Amino acid sequence: MKAQLTRRTLLTTGVGSLLATHPLPALTQASPLRLAFIPQENPDKLLGDIEAISGWLSQELGVPVEGFVTIDHAAAVEALRNGDADISFMGALPFVLAEAEIGAVPLLSEVYRGKPYYTGRIFVRRDSGITSLADLEGRDIAFADPISESGYLYPLAEFKRAGLIAGIDEAEAFFGRIFFAGGYQQAMQAMAQGLVAAAGASQYADLLLTPQQQPQVTWIAESPEIPSHVVIARPGLDADLRARFVETMLRLNEPVHRAKLQYLYGPDGYVPADPEAFEAVRDMAREAGLLS
Amino acid sequence: MQATLSPNLRVKCIIVSAAAALAGSVALATPAKQVPWLPEAAAYRLTLHYGNLAPVPWEAIAEAWSEPYRGAEFPDGAFDRIAENSALSTEAVAAAIAAEDRHALFGAATRLLASRIGEELARAIAASSPSAAQAAVSEAQELYRAFGDHVQAADPEAARELGLAWLELTSAAGSSGVLGAGAVALDDARMKAAGKVIRDYLAANYLTSEFDRRAKLSAVPETVAAGGTATDIPATLPPGSDIFDQDPLPRLVLNFEEQGIDEKDLPMVAYGDMLFDSPEIFGEPARSVGIACSSCHNRSDINQRFFIPGVSHQPGAVDVDGAFFNPMFNDRRADSLDIPSLRGLRFTGPYGRDGRFASLREFSRNVIVNEFGGAEPTPFMLDALVAYLFEFDFLPNAMVTPEGALTEVASDAAHRGEAIFNRPMAGLDDKSCASCHIPSANFLDGRAHDIGSAEPGYDGARAGAFDTPTLLGTAYTAPYFHDGALPTLASVVDWFDETKSLELSDQERSDLTAYLEAVGAADDPYEGFGERNTPFRLAFEELTTFASTLDTLLPARDRQHTLLLTDTVAADLAADAGTMSNQSARPEIYSLARLLVDVGEAVRADDWTAAEAHWTTFKAEAEKIEERVY
Repeated sequence: MKAQLTRRTLLTTGVGSLLATHPLPALTQASPLRLAFIPQENPDKLLGDIEAISGWLSQELGVPVEGFVTIDHAAAVEALRNGDADISFMGALPFVLAEAEIGAVPLLSEVYRGKPYYTGRIFVRRDSGITSLADLEGRDIAFADPISESGYLYPLAEFKRAGLIAGIDEAEAFFGRIFFAGGYQQAMQAMAQGLVAAAGASQYADLLLTPQQQPQVTWIAESPEIPSHVVIARPGLDADLRARFVETMLRLNEPVHRAKLQYLYGPDGYVPADPEAFEAVRDMAREAGLLS
Repeated sequence: MQATLSPNLRVKCIIVSAAAALAGSVALATPAKQVPWLPEAAAYRLTLHYGNLAPVPWEAIAEAWSEPYRGAEFPDGAFDRIAENSALSTEAVAAAIAAEDRHALFGAATRLLASRIGEELARAIAASSPSAAQAAVSEAQELYRAFGDHVQAADPEAARELGLAWLELTSAAGSSGVLGAGAVALDDARMKAAGKVIRDYLAANYLTSEFDRRAKLSAVPETVAAGGTATDIPATLPPGSDIFDQDPLPRLVLNFEEQGIDEKDLPMVAYGDMLFDSPEIFGEPARSVGIACSSCHNRSDINQRFFIPGVSHQPGAVDVDGAFFNPMFNDRRADSLDIPSLRGLRFTGPYGRDGRFASLREFSRNVIVNEFGGAEPTPFMLDALVAYLFEFDFLPNAMVTPEGALTEVASDAAHRGEAIFNRPMAGLDDKSCASCHIPSANFLDGRAHDIGSAEPGYDGARAGAFDTPTLLGTAYTAPYFHDGALPTLASVVDWFDETKSLELSDQERSDLTAYLEAVGAADDPYEGFGERNTPFRLAFEELTTFASTLDTLLPARDRQHTLLLTDTVAADLAADAGTMSNQSARPEIYSLARLLVDVGEAVRADDWTAAEAHWTTFKAEAEKIEERVY
């Protein structure tokens, strides 16, 4: 990925072209709403997506909407803190950290397959003979990433719940080797190809395997529910604008607008966020030493 | 770059690496979406693909390096991306393309890609932060993908060592943590050691100064290729290919079904239906990449998205007698044709765009054996396939009577167009459009005509006559003409007006177009899906219907046709389970698929009693899970 990402590589505005053809009276009296996006994959694609969604939001909200790509979560939170950004999109773990750090407010939760939450699982090959977490003692395992909720922290916590380790720091001693493969798919492929005995990943991660591989794997443990990614706001954002933004985003659930969800990391829809739903994530972050 | 991932971000957008080599030899009609390729890796794989065609399409190879591949998520082509991100020279690749030197191109392209991987590995090891190291490792790994499946096939032991080295690299690259918490420092020594494993392998196999000349281009490591060991490379489609079903899915109108007859009571038709969806009847590479009759003729209609580079000149087109599918049948002419609809097939003979086959049975055999390199089908297979094909009906259309006249439902413009359609015109030798597209004969005349739509192959050649196509259902089969040159029905009217000097007014052209649109329309052209009436449900019903022919095949002790069925249906049933909305029922589908595998294994062991028992269990289990199948 050599698109050089700086804190504000690109500023796209959905309002410039709009002004020419659709004069909106409110525009002249409103300051722009700024959205900070964190790249999950190809940043070039994300730039195009931002342009499309910010244009639509601008039209619907009647205020200029600007979107930009930040280099990482820290940059997005920093932008929220200093007012360079009003809104951002992140996972449950970064959100609870941002909440603790700057008082970020959860607005909307992503919906996948009808639910605003998902789980993490421990996957193994069906022919491996592994049927329980205890069978993985001394065996190699691949996780997605050390800061991934469903791709590390939650699946690993299942070993603690099963009484096999007392805490994260005992994981190294329990397993043979722990690998961080770089993503769900890489972790699942490592398991499916027999490079490791198991993989810890999102409940849907087996769908990342080939259709031929999918029947060859199964899962032996599943974590409690993990809140889906969340749309957050800086604490000082104007309450009226915040409410209208939420209302507008919820319209993406309507069939006529649903295709636009692909511009926003591709959820199936949004529901209003429930701050209480993140309590377990806060606990998890504290236990992992990520939150004091 | 690794942000915390959305729960199924990649599940929805990007699926499946090139791991087909691991998956055994069962062909699937369920295609897998490919992870987007990095431009350099895509250009390399396209070079291998085009380099194996005859004649080699050099312009396409040049474009593969200079332009993004079709559907790419990156705006730049490979050369531009290398110029922007790399210190490497692309001159050797460009020179080999200009010289049209296949062997030189293979060597230069292979070395360039391997050097790019090495460059990114060096960046990763020199990185000062985990995020920079991870980005470089990720880039290197995505570039290595261009070699990976061929290494797996040719040198599995090395593939395992390399796989572990990549895991070691991504792990040793550390983590920047999130918001300053949970950071893990990169481990320089581990990264260097793992990087060395990969670099040494690249040096020995992909960076050699001279490669052995290869009859078939592939990324098989040079130490294996030069050793003369034959490697069975898994067939794959090149980047930019799309063989997924058309969306929305065309509605399938089967004559027996409209009469309320259950397909399960028509075993020959059901078996033919299975064959229509089975890649098993084709040879390589069609079989392994999952191409079946239904890939192009989606639900008896067409597949407007079907595209394979070097095989399709545009989406919805295919050259069935080129070098890709069956080199023996390669006519060495770039004559990719627009895929025709099969609706109303029993009325639309003769068959083939130029009507070269009077018999649908002969036509079907030619498709299987010559076009797609399959084994000679049995008489039963051909009979079954034809029995099924003859059930394809036209889409019901309330605007047209069975005799081909417009009804009062059609617009005034369409009725005015109908008069023009039936009016003799001087430019048509005092015939009318209806002279060939006879309304009372399903808008056909059963003959081939040269209307001047094709260029002659050589000076003095009779350019070619094409079978008169029906106009029924054509509102959904754009583009038009044998080569799909005309995008809309209006453009077809314009073409005739201009080339045949019909001297139609603007109003007349508009009315004639309205008429064609009315005749080509349908009451209900696409399948409708709902919460439980899902595409998987449809697939499940089809596959279990196919399987129902076991009620006939097992008592007849028909080993060959039983195994063809179980191999096709068991694999597809399991593969389709990944598309279920009700994911919790997926294991039950796998169990069902396993029962069909058991039927096949019992038949292979000549244990017909066990086969019948497994089949009985299958039927009972299928009935039990009926409500959860969606």
